[in-house]
Amino acid sequence: MSKVIEISPTTRHEGHSKLVLKVDDQGIIERGDWLSITPVRGVEKLAIGKTYEQVPKIASRVCGICPIAHCLAGIEAMEASMGVYIPEDAYLLRVILQCANRIHSIALHNILSLPDMYLPGTDTKINPFSPEEPVRSVAKRIQRIREIGQTIGEISGGECVHPSNPRVGGMYKNLQPRAKAKIYDLAKEGLALARDQMEFMIAIFRNYQKRDWAEVGGMQVPIPDTLGYHNQGYMAADPVYGSSSLDENPRWDPARWNEVRPWDWYMGEMEITDDFPNYPVGGTTPKGTKAWPQMEACTGVPLYDGQPVEVGPRARLNVFKGYDEKGTIGQQIARQMEYTDAFYKIIECVDALNCGASVLADEIPQGDGSLGWAANEAPRGCDVHLARVKDGRVQYYSMLVPTTWNFPTCSRALTGAPWQLAEVIMRGYDPCVSCATHMIVVDEDRRLVAEKLIQ
Amino acid sequence: MLFPRVVVAGCGNPLFADDGFGPAVIEALQEVDLPGDVKVIDAGLGGPHFIFTLLDPEVTKRLIIVDCADFGAEPGTLARLSVEDLPPGAYRDAHSWDLAEPLQRLKDRVEITIIGCQPKHVSAPDFEMGLTEEVRAAIPKTVSFILKELGVENGAL
Repeated sequence: MSKVIEISPTTRHEGHSKLVLKVDDQGIIERGDWLSITPVRGVEKLAIGKTYEQVPKIASRVCGICPIAHCLAGIEAMEASMGVYIPEDAYLLRVILQCANRIHSIALHNILSLPDMYLPGTDTKINPFSPEEPVRSVAKRIQRIREIGQTIGEISGGECVHPSNPRVGGMYKNLQPRAKAKIYDLAKEGLALARDQMEFMIAIFRNYQKRDWAEVGGMQVPIPDTLGYHNQGYMAADPVYGSSSLDENPRWDPARWNEVRPWDWYMGEMEITDDFPNYPVGGTTPKGTKAWPQMEACTGVPLYDGQPVEVGPRARLNVFKGYDEKGTIGQQIARQMEYTDAFYKIIECVDALNCGASVLADEIPQGDGSLGWAANEAPRGCDVHLARVKDGRVQYYSMLVPTTWNFPTCSRALTGAPWQLAEVIMRGYDPCVSCATHMIVVDEDRRLVAEKLIQ
Repeated sequence: MLFPRVVVAGCGNPLFADDGFGPAVIEALQEVDLPGDVKVIDAGLGGPHFIFTLLDPEVTKRLIIVDCADFGAEPGTLARLSVEDLPPGAYRDAHSWDLAEPLQRLKDRVEITIIGCQPKHVSAPDFEMGLTEEVRAAIPKTVSFILKELGVENGAL
């Protein structure tokens, strides 16, 4: 009889999600469900009646780590609905911002992936915060790459977290020649670092792939050759940037998209039968607890051509460059290959940028209520925003965010792996689950004394 | 240089009513002339992964965080908190890589002040925009407090 194990919450990614795993007597996953357990709702409703300038700013707040992707996708969905064509130099600035964001994201994800991996030739897992070499130099390189990505993003986007420069119709400001030169210098420095970092990460992932076993929470488990394999297919709108309904040949199609309820997709109610207190971090859910994925999942299940698909680095490389390595390691390696691509793209755009040109459309029609969509290739995958704008006001708005596509796909990719490696598979997707608030709640026994109050 | 000697970060999500206090204070600070070595940043929900884990303590010596915080006072009340006052996990990087808290890593090398404002209404999980009157009224006081902390004279002080 199948056993049921639950890992909740999953760790080393953005947001809150959990894994409910039906396993056989050997602990191999027969069916797994990975689902978001963060309820966040109402952006579609909130957008109605707002201006086309407000809505992308609202959209960029739904996530703490993807504001750039949501801001660009939101703006371009407005432009697509209104029929606004932006100047070439504005487009170049947006691509620079996009690539800078991707670079930071890959580097951050390196830190999240490394603790599952081994130092080649040893049975020692990597602690990215170790003061020992070679890890220390790698960690410093990662930090520098993150810094370079964020600095380029700040120069092109106006601010380093929530970009202020993009707007409907193009960008508020072009770059000064000095800023352009600075980006060029940073990109050249970053390219060399990224190449070394890519090679290091690929060596680490290949080493893991060759290993027979991994240790998780004191348990030694076999690493299957097919770790993370699935047959769900891929979806990507562009190798680097995106596509929209304004394109001559749009590379995403709303007619192929459909959405079903979690009820139709996830497993029904069941009881946790086994628990493992030593599983990091803090053990699995105690046995006897009830799990009900189809009721608990907080996101719908988007389908493309009637099935869930993978989005992200491997999807981009598969659709546009014929990359075909399957599984978790294939996915991780695809992500590393985007490091240098992103830097080359920045250099190409900086070369082409004319600092004296206008970056704002001459004409901004106010919209006739047509449906427009924009698919932005965010670090984690295709981020589609759909909008209808009429007379300057948003009538309809919807967001199909990357990890929502990946939840059901990754769920299928869990089958056949030891349950202890489910999080390794999940982390391969660099998941970003919707954020809630970050409000601090000061505990009862830490109730503030009067002198801390600001009068 | 991504981050200068002094960083003021406004944290929180404007989509959850009073949770937008931090970014609203940043918007107000952006209207003020500040010294060249001070940077004010609308951190939104990205503080841990875009700022706190990227600060170089060799360069940045002062970090002021503005956020809403529930400490059981009247809405709009402000409190000055230190890293020790925070419950575990308050600014854990949402990516929680090794469950280490980025501010714990920094606190011995960077002077950190957290300005918390007691919210009246945080709408999560539903999106709702706009601060309540009480919390909005706390913005000017917060701006003055930060300017005083930074040693900046302005006409209002």
